[in-house]
Amino acid sequence: MDFALSEEQELFRTAIRKYMTDLGKTDIARSIIDGKLESITRVTSGLAEMGISAIPIPEEQDGLGLGALDLVPVFEETGRVLLPGIQLETLALAVPLLNAYGTQVQKSNWLTKVATGESTISVAWYEQNRGLTPKSFSAIAAKTTSGYAVTGTKTLVSVLGNPDIFVTAAQTAEGKSLFLIKASDVASQKILPGIDETQQIAQLTFDQAPAELLGEPGEAAQMLDNALLHFNAALCSSMVGGMDELVHTTTEYAKIRIQFNQPIGRFQAVKHGIVNMKLDLETARSLSYYAAWAVENNTEDKETAVHSARSFVSKAYIKAAADSIQLHGGIGFTEELDVQLYLKRARYYENYFGSVRDSRKKAARALGWHTKSTKQHPVPVS
Amino acid sequence: MNFTFTKKEEKFRGELRAWLETNLPTGWLEGDRQLPKDPQHYSQFLRDWQRALYEGGWAAIAWPKEYGGRDATLMEEIIYHQEMVRVQSPPLINYIGIHMVAPTLMQMGTDSQKDEFIEKILTGEQVWSQGYSEPSAGSDLSAIQTMAVKKDGKWVINGQKVWTSFAHLADRCFLLTKTEKSEGKHDGITVFLLDMHQPGVETVPIVQMDGHQEFNEVYLTDAIATDADVVGEVGKGWKVLIALMLHERSGIAAQVFTLEQQFDRVVDMAKSVQVCGVSLMEDPFVGDGLADLYTRINGAKLNYYRNITHTLKNGKPGPESSLDKLLVSELTKELFDFAMTIQGHAGILMAEDALFDSDMQGQYLASFGATIGGGTSEVQRNTIGERILGLPKDLGR
Repeated sequence: MDFALSEEQELFRTAIRKYMTDLGKTDIARSIIDGKLESITRVTSGLAEMGISAIPIPEEQDGLGLGALDLVPVFEETGRVLLPGIQLETLALAVPLLNAYGTQVQKSNWLTKVATGESTISVAWYEQNRGLTPKSFSAIAAKTTSGYAVTGTKTLVSVLGNPDIFVTAAQTAEGKSLFLIKASDVASQKILPGIDETQQIAQLTFDQAPAELLGEPGEAAQMLDNALLHFNAALCSSMVGGMDELVHTTTEYAKIRIQFNQPIGRFQAVKHGIVNMKLDLETARSLSYYAAWAVENNTEDKETAVHSARSFVSKAYIKAAADSIQLHGGIGFTEELDVQLYLKRARYYENYFGSVRDSRKKAARALGWHTKSTKQHPVPVS
Repeated sequence: MNFTFTKKEEKFRGELRAWLETNLPTGWLEGDRQLPKDPQHYSQFLRDWQRALYEGGWAAIAWPKEYGGRDATLMEEIIYHQEMVRVQSPPLINYIGIHMVAPTLMQMGTDSQKDEFIEKILTGEQVWSQGYSEPSAGSDLSAIQTMAVKKDGKWVINGQKVWTSFAHLADRCFLLTKTEKSEGKHDGITVFLLDMHQPGVETVPIVQMDGHQEFNEVYLTDAIATDADVVGEVGKGWKVLIALMLHERSGIAAQVFTLEQQFDRVVDMAKSVQVCGVSLMEDPFVGDGLADLYTRINGAKLNYYRNITHTLKNGKPGPESSLDKLLVSELTKELFDFAMTIQGHAGILMAEDALFDSDMQGQYLASFGATIGGGTSEVQRNTIGERILGLPKDLGR
């Protein structure tokens, strides 16, 4: 029995935390709100210098060939400071997709560039008024002499740091399929107002955009489902990092904030509130570690592990931020404190590439709770 | 990160499984797990079970070999609890004697105390209770008022204990008393190994809300103890108490695995029970709620694993066990609360008339004890807040 990150992984955590502290913790996130988008480029190259963008890339593409567990400290520490950008989308969604389904050419074109920090990739999946698992897409991919041309509109695309390519999905004769489209071939991009102002989400329009097929046509949903196991495990780590910071700052505040001649942390109403946050944090961390372990080891229970983690951590993150606002009192409700930024990030992630309900359903199905087709007996009249 | 067991650990599990298969009470493995209803037979049944464990070498695996134990590792203890929960083994009547009293005596008892008590605890010949709580001292043990006064060379003890588990079946009591009125709350406490079979000791069972009787009130009226019954030094009982509490190192394991098993039973119920011809599981409310409970129960188990890893690496447990205790007991309550809700109107009936073939309603009622016994959830939250997060202590403590 050894349910802990390795010493190397913890050392890596220390290094990333130092780097994030040197960057001023949430300063980068706040700089996005102020419109200073260029700060992301500096972070991206800094992370690449530390070798972070090379972690999930195979050695053949100049990566480190490491696994999901090695990303845990990375995303916990970037999540702790609400680092904006598309590290999650690139490293935990696009890379697993390219790793699993890319051709040799696609891999050497793109993965090498991701490893060195030259490139970032985002994923354009959602369409307006449709969920994560639509029956079909209104975006259409038509065959051309050299490949495909995609026409349609995608929304909720994370675009901070100017990704070079988008993994997108469109309808073909064979069904929903995945494509790679260069950012330079996007017809128009409109930034949408989002609840989390430290991120940038956009609506993208493609007009006959040249597109490379990724994987087999008609398999987009299955491919995304598989890659989302990586993404959700990483997302959980990011949220756990945020929760950890919330517990830490709330605890410290309760120790120094004096009311009725004593620190408020002495009052059980406050103390127990923080303890409840701590309980959720530890459960979230255990579930997220296990999810990453299951993904890395490709275990039979990986779907249950990842989706149960995602459903719990999403909710717990929102609750931790909400409770932290309450425990900070009046100051907690102001823009001055970071707490509100964590709440907005938690809400942003809640329904980003899935939801609590989706995850619970997937976990239940993976546990085999639902019989294939229960014949619904007519309800007796009595 | 590694969740596999070593070959040695698997061999240990295999041996225990094989032993359980041949030695559990007749019919037990097949699901006939009735314990005798009347106290006399109940006591005898459980004493026989402990005797069987003793003869098989499974009564106290964590004890040193010289005292009849196996010097079991922490992982072996965990496996032991897993296996015992798996077969839903009969309860250990001398839990207090084995897990708390005897290890404390090994550490700080006199030679004659060791000779007189340790083997009898192991064989089940002598059942122990612990006399801590009092009507005015529950979680705050330093507020006890039971007095022991030296008179003609003997200790005369007067007072009242409450929530004394197993007292109605016990031969001896690990009794906490005051031997002097003192300034410091932790001073003047003395621990006695009290003989329960004497006129000055009266035991009155307390009937719980689920109809069971596991606790008692114990009235002490001029009960007698001798100097030979004192553990450690007179007036230094607080030290003994702390030592005793540290001995229960793997107690939470049994609860973690029991909770997991109880959850599986609720899932079985949701799959097999039909309302209007549709299984409960097909109701989205049920599926969603169960997925949520599954996740949190699994999270509690994984927390436990993480804390065990920490203990294995550091050699001793930390305050994280409060976290495990709190989570597991709260989840036990929530699980049966949910089990009640999803049964609908059929959940009104109890026992053999219950909708499901197990007694969910009984377990629901019993679950209220989980967040009170062994330190209330409020006390656990204080411990976590103060010892893990470093928040200031409540005034007055």
